[in-house]
Amino acid sequence: MHRYVRNCLFGLMFLVLLTCPSCSSPEVAKTSSPIEITDQLGRVVKLDKIPQRIVSLAPSNTEILFALGVADKIVAVTDYCNYPAEAKEKPSIGGFSTPNIEKIVALSPDLVLATSMHQKSVIPNLEGKGILVLALVPKTLDEILESITLVGKITGEEKEASKLVAEMQNRIKAVTDRTNGLSEDGRPTVFYLTWQDPLKTSSVGTLAHELIQKAGGRNIFPEIVGTQSIDLESLVARNPQVMVAGISMGSGGDTTFQYLKTETRLQNTEAGKNGQIYNINIDLTGRFGPRIVDGLEQFAECIHPEIFGSPN
Amino acid sequence: MSYKADLSSQTLPVHLIRWHGRIYAIVGLCILLVVIAALATTIGSVEIPLLTTYQVMISKLPFLHTTPVWSSGIETIVLDIRLPRVILAGLVGAALATAGATYQGLFRNPLADPYLIGVAQGASLGAVVGFLLPVSWSGLEVGAIPLFAFVGAIASAAIVYGLARVGKTLPVTTLILAGVALGALLGSVVSYLIISSGDKMHGIIFWLMGSFSLSRWMDVMLVLPYIIVGTVVILLYARSLNVMQLDEEQAQQLGINVERLKLVLLTAATLITAAAVSFVGTIGFVGIIIPHAVRLLWGADYRFLLPLSVLTGAIFLIVADLIARTIQAPTEIPIGVITALCGAPFFLYLLRRRRKVIF
Repeated sequence: MHRYVRNCLFGLMFLVLLTCPSCSSPEVAKTSSPIEITDQLGRVVKLDKIPQRIVSLAPSNTEILFALGVADKIVAVTDYCNYPAEAKEKPSIGGFSTPNIEKIVALSPDLVLATSMHQKSVIPNLEGKGILVLALVPKTLDEILESITLVGKITGEEKEASKLVAEMQNRIKAVTDRTNGLSEDGRPTVFYLTWQDPLKTSSVGTLAHELIQKAGGRNIFPEIVGTQSIDLESLVARNPQVMVAGISMGSGGDTTFQYLKTETRLQNTEAGKNGQIYNINIDLTGRFGPRIVDGLEQFAECIHPEIFGSPN
Repeated sequence: MSYKADLSSQTLPVHLIRWHGRIYAIVGLCILLVVIAALATTIGSVEIPLLTTYQVMISKLPFLHTTPVWSSGIETIVLDIRLPRVILAGLVGAALATAGATYQGLFRNPLADPYLIGVAQGASLGAVVGFLLPVSWSGLEVGAIPLFAFVGAIASAAIVYGLARVGKTLPVTTLILAGVALGALLGSVVSYLIISSGDKMHGIIFWLMGSFSLSRWMDVMLVLPYIIVGTVVILLYARSLNVMQLDEEQAQQLGINVERLKLVLLTAATLITAAAVSFVGTIGFVGIIIPHAVRLLWGADYRFLLPLSVLTGAIFLIVADLIARTIQAPTEIPIGVITALCGAPFFLYLLRRRRKVIF
């Protein structure tokens, strides 16, 4: 019964997320003070001074804060914030789907950077306690750039943010300029493995899928939405030319990559025969932070070594 | 069943007619199993013509030389992906149904299932430990997880058995209670480990849900001896299980060494459950419902109940897995969802239609 109720809640949460009408681009009111910022959940956030005590509720948020040079203002991060190395030395408020509210309140932050998964319970809870929350809910590369701009605005580092965004845009462009012109045949078929038992792949609506497309590849499971388990026989039949395993440098290790290399039934695919089996750290392919461009470049190297040079 | 027609013919005594009906059922289910297995091999998320599928299979038989006109991918799909998967599903279904029937008979309890004495929780804990140990197991070709799961399953059943023993006897109620308690304990440890497992959490949860998606011939070969030996042992004791249904004391008086019977049957049922679970995760529902369905359809005589459960369990899980891998192809649905979703309504239908006390 419990499980049922929980599943229903999850479903509901999803629906709300999907139908959320106002996940639109951020706007900043022109008034000098106080500042008004609309976050990526469409919430209007008002503040009259630049936050000095920031809590990050997601690894991607932590990476953005570090990239903008406001690391000294971070008072706490999550257990999963592993980049840059200094992030691991910050105090933790627990896991990122299950942050410890008491701990957050005890730190008396003047800004909490949340994500979509905190929408239902954590954000209202913190707001009820009078804590300022900004939600970053990017789903695409462009929205990551937007969220960086937003963080720049709220932390008063707009210049840093626009510099970072411009640099990321340049690197994205450097890849897409060389892949946009490719014909359909010039785009190798790609399989991206997110988990091996059962086989899971990430497709439409995920960052990895967008990166594969921008890097000049064709995902062999274009009909799949999100991350789902797939059939080994479909994978064999679709005969990918390139296989990329998402590996986790943390504790997960490279079991996905080992699987692709050792599964005998995959060795007759084009990728298996030509040794086109690679791995990319999932923190670069699925984390909505500045390093997503590293992920894009690595995908480009895996898919088009003849253009971008060999990977790994 | 042609059971009514036979009755009206009045040529045989009633018990012989029932005998015949059930022997026909066994033969019929054997044929059905072969047909279903053959059919399941021809269907999948990838469309391969029926004829090609069988040509591929026939080409591998000795002394028959056919020149392949199909791609190596198709051969891989039919011979190395579908065939082992169908066979493993059949083996696991047979194992779980047989183990369920055995536990139900041994405990004289309709709620007994193969996971009653902590086997599932033990396997889960073993698997989770395997996931979390910071060691690379790439040297082990079997994979560490099945090995850990198997050891965990056997160990927890052994602990339950040891805890429940009183002197030289094994009171069934104590065994069940010990199983439930240890199961709860291990379950909570598993939950805690999952919560604190960080980014390995997803892998563990997927494993626990159960899946046939990566079935290999090696898995079939490793599971096969346990399931065959265990099932044969259980089938040999069918008559004793019948006597056990009376009462343990009466069984003892009828010359059955009740304690030895319990030990042998528990060991056999636990072994086949552990072997099944360690490769595909804990698939629910099969072990409890199949024996009851068989009981409803063909009666409670263990000499028939057991072989009919073997066959029905195998057929049921092959079909459930077929649905799981094709209904949303190329996406796969967890098989546990299918077993409960298709099995429960059918079972409830049987329950209502027969309207008799089944246990």
